[in-house]
Amino acid sequence: MKILYRWLKEFIDTRLPPRQIQEALTMAGVEVSSCRFLGEGLDAVVTARILEMRPHPNAERLSLCRVTDGTSEYGIVCGARNMNAGDAVALARVGAKLPNGVEIRKAKIRGQTSEGMLCSEQELKLAEESAGIMILGPETLPGKPLADALGLSDWLLEVEITPNRGDCLSVLGVAREVASITGEKVVLPDASFPEGEEGIGSLVRIDVSDPALCPRYSARVVTAVTVAPSPDWMQQRLSLCGIRPISNVVDVTNYLLLETGQPMHAFDLDRLRGRRIDVRAPREAMTFATLDGAERRIEPGMLLIWDGEGPVAVAGVMGGRDSEVIGGTTRVLFESAHFAPASIRKTSRRLGLSSESSYRFERGVDPAGTLYAADRAVALLSRIATVRTAAGSIDAGGGSSFSRSVPFRPARAGRVVGRAYTAEECREIFGRLSFPVAEPEPGEWEVTVPPYRFDIEREIDLVEEVARLSGYEGIPATYPVSKAPEFSEDDRFADRLEQACEFLRGHGFTQAVNFSFVSGRNLEKLAQFLGYDPEDALRLRNPISEDTTVMRPHLLTGLLRNMSDNVRRFVEDVRLFEAGNAYGKSYADGHYQEPRLGLILRGRRLPSGWSGGPVQADFYDLKGTVDALLSHIGAGPPHVVPTRARPFLSEGKAADILLHGESVGWLGAVRRELLAEYELPGAVFYSEIRIQAVLAARQEPGSYRPLTKFPPVFRDVACVFPAAIPVGDVLSMVREVAPEVEGATVFDVYTGEKIGEGKKSVAIRVKLQPFDRTLTDSEVHSIHTKIVELLENRFGGKIRTS
Amino acid sequence: MPGTSEQIARLREEGLAALAAACTESELLAAKGRFFGKKGAVSEILKGIASLPAEERKAVGAEANRVRAELEAVFDSRLAGIREGERLAREGRDRLDVTLPGRALPPGHRHPISRTMSDIIAVFRRLGFSVQGGPDVEKDYYNFEALNFPPEHPARDMQDTFYVESRDGDLVLRTHTSPIQIRTMEKTRPPVRIIAPGAVYRSDSDITHSPMFHQVEGLAVDRDITFADLKGLLTEFCRMTFGPGKPLRFRPSYFPFTEPSAEVDIRCVICGGSGCRVCKDTGWLEILGAGMVDPAVFGFVGYDPEEYTGFAFGMGVERIAMLRHGISDIRLFFENDIRFLSQF
Ligand SMILES: [Zn+2]
Repeated sequence: MKILYRWLKEFIDTRLPPRQIQEALTMAGVEVSSCRFLGEGLDAVVTARILEMRPHPNAERLSLCRVTDGTSEYGIVCGARNMNAGDAVALARVGAKLPNGVEIRKAKIRGQTSEGMLCSEQELKLAEESAGIMILGPETLPGKPLADALGLSDWLLEVEITPNRGDCLSVLGVAREVASITGEKVVLPDASFPEGEEGIGSLVRIDVSDPALCPRYSARVVTAVTVAPSPDWMQQRLSLCGIRPISNVVDVTNYLLLETGQPMHAFDLDRLRGRRIDVRAPREAMTFATLDGAERRIEPGMLLIWDGEGPVAVAGVMGGRDSEVIGGTTRVLFESAHFAPASIRKTSRRLGLSSESSYRFERGVDPAGTLYAADRAVALLSRIATVRTAAGSIDAGGGSSFSRSVPFRPARAGRVVGRAYTAEECREIFGRLSFPVAEPEPGEWEVTVPPYRFDIEREIDLVEEVARLSGYEGIPATYPVSKAPEFSEDDRFADRLEQACEFLRGHGFTQAVNFSFVSGRNLEKLAQFLGYDPEDALRLRNPISEDTTVMRPHLLTGLLRNMSDNVRRFVEDVRLFEAGNAYGKSYADGHYQEPRLGLILRGRRLPSGWSGGPVQADFYDLKGTVDALLSHIGAGPPHVVPTRARPFLSEGKAADILLHGESVGWLGAVRRELLAEYELPGAVFYSEIRIQAVLAARQEPGSYRPLTKFPPVFRDVACVFPAAIPVGDVLSMVREVAPEVEGATVFDVYTGEKIGEGKKSVAIRVKLQPFDRTLTDSEVHSIHTKIVELLENRFGGKIRTS
Repeated sequence: MPGTSEQIARLREEGLAALAAACTESELLAAKGRFFGKKGAVSEILKGIASLPAEERKAVGAEANRVRAELEAVFDSRLAGIREGERLAREGRDRLDVTLPGRALPPGHRHPISRTMSDIIAVFRRLGFSVQGGPDVEKDYYNFEALNFPPEHPARDMQDTFYVESRDGDLVLRTHTSPIQIRTMEKTRPPVRIIAPGAVYRSDSDITHSPMFHQVEGLAVDRDITFADLKGLLTEFCRMTFGPGKPLRFRPSYFPFTEPSAEVDIRCVICGGSGCRVCKDTGWLEILGAGMVDPAVFGFVGYDPEEYTGFAFGMGVERIAMLRHGISDIRLFFENDIRFLSQF
């Protein structure tokens, strides 16, 4: 909120200049984000009056003005046309440097001397744009510094108020905060005025039927006033603080809002039917037209202000059309109430209607200050206008004490903060805060907290006051003594994930980070190619854009988008990975989220290859990476089997990744239609891995196996199979032929004319490793024969003899 | 018959030409034999000197010897050149051009957010904290209520929340990683020392705000944990992350789940405190929010606030990465442009 320094000084005669106020408040927790002098650059600009104006003899568009600043006269050449002789204007004298950087010099313009410049609001940086020069009010005396005439010889502080400190949303509140830092005294401005004859009780009747929602309702009545514009100084202050001036009566309520933080409402008393007020929530839903012209649906429980016949305002939020103060209003009722914060917030949110009033009521308005504000409103109005006032006030709920008693132990403050606070120090701080202290038991205090401090209800709230007002800089920096924690599951997960990321980085993959939400429309459009039903996606109720409406069901579309973007930027070889969650609906818990690792690959196998031609990476490059990755994080090489269950992968080039029979991910060539959608030429390979399933299959090394002294024997077998035989199956069966078979690897696969259509030749090297003896020739022969039988009988192979 | 000196001059020309034309050692030796070897042309001339008149004899002898010396010198240097060439050719067959690029795949790059997050985690693990994760689609209870954001409290306006469609209507995308505090305390007894890294979401988007960003949250609860401990720990963290000589400033602030609360500023890492655009001329950069765990939070997890105290802190990973690398637009992180990523 905006605070004017001079206004603040009316409440506390502080010795601190504006910049020190900024520093002091900020370091006490009331952040002042900016502090600037409003009259910056207006030093040599004064008020002046145009004495005479005539056309420039040599330039049609220019005019010559003779102006006075009260002491001297100046001839000015001016390009604007919105002024007349007699107008008060802003004159930048020779030597002035304007806020927009322009320096004013004596100049000859088309043969006529110009001894200064008549300024526009834009040139003075008082407005974004302006149509002509600035015309000041007719009463403006010439020769005054412009800053004074406009109320700009002041500093403006931008104060950021945290939600707990609603009490600081006013000049008075900030003054109290300054007092609690400096120990200076807050002085309330005089709120007295001469009361008239007529008693308020004979003019209006006020009931509060829902006192829980409206603990206090104070009112004053003015019986005669002429609605007119408020004086310049008041309009200036309101404008500078961001409120548009309307009329003296309304401006006074807004002025009080800024000054004391008490939202007020001015009713035209003669437009209140039955001249009565009731404060209550309706029992049934209804509609009501607020000041802004909108028809609002009012639900039961929303607090309204009623006159004798119907609602006239949404309490604490906004008034209605039919009772607002208008041009002909003469009798005014000032409402100054305290409404329950949660109720106002609920109403304001339900109606989608927020105002300066509701903002303050939500955060808490001083229930003890309502009558003072009502008095001050009438006092202020009587200073700026001729008024007659009713005698007395109405004050429903007045007379009760709203202050709280909160327990406090100075020792507790020391225990929480980590430095000792003496009783004197605490007393002194509570003194600056105007919190009376009693000590019924030694070390056990009762602190009385004034009702405007809604944030202080518990001992810890007082501990915070002591800590912040004695200064955080005085707290020592120690080191927490505590037992180091156990190594958690999540520590292990973080470690493995870090290993996986570093492995992939080492294998040429660059890490991407995409938003967890994606475009639902895109998912719908690609649904058949993705094989994903968009109905299964978790959907946001209030997405920030069309592109971020659902939680991503997988990492594929994000990585395809990244790949496409990079290819478009002339990066041909792209290897990306992403570690992030996939989300969706689940029947068990309503929704699931699962950490995944996505890998995507296209382009050359070795970007810097200079020997031999450029070889494009293929399925087996990605498969090799995935195999090695899983082994790297301790899960061992997976079993990769063909699948038809991954529609986003090309048929015949899609595989599931199994560990101990459980699918932990998939792998394959991305299907053509998706590549077309993302404008990706050539083949793209993709794998997505369910990290937790992989880690669950992780095996720590067990006891070691003794090393053998006997030599291994290698046997090669070449065999022609039908092309559809999976070599992986062949190898696993060969490994089972005899305990001596330690390994079986493929070292050549050939297809072509020599072999014949629908066939493939596979060369397998078998390693035989006896543990406790040297294999005899007949043992080797016997195993070899078993292998040949297996290949021929089980897989339809034909042994090749070269 | 031409004069002997003409003969010598021609011989010199032809000898030089033959030496120059020889490409191998044997060709060179052949040229030597023909022109200035023991039986070469020059020797023949010297042998014929005797037949010359006495007055010419001396001059011709001297001239022939000079030519022979010249040819021999050229022969020596050509021989050395040819031998060096042959040596290089021979060696070239065994030797590699080690300056050609290697055949490995060049490594990729870690995303700067992930790298920064890993660095932060590493520091706190050194300082005795253990990692805890939690869901990012979170219940309102964990994201707000148990963190002391009552249902109709303006503190809820501090974070623009994404709501997720659900049967019970109480799911949000977590606005901070603080719910992990509650989840952890619900299932363990003090001492607690955790850091909770992860993605968080707020409905806000401009050059310094992204609807998704990352946080690392910390929590320590035990007997006698104090605000002074919090100061000490964060001072240590900042020294390890930003280097020494960067003082911290603790400013009172407000978070519903801590009290007393603080915003923590570090001396501007760009200008060192003299004021610049990044620190908006204040000389300080806000990098952390922190405070003592509010007793109300302990109430939600069944810890006795008279027995235990604790502190919590949280920081934005993007913010720290932006400061470390001078990045001014947060959106760069999520474009995944390899030209950007390859710088990390
Ligand atoms: Zn700076």
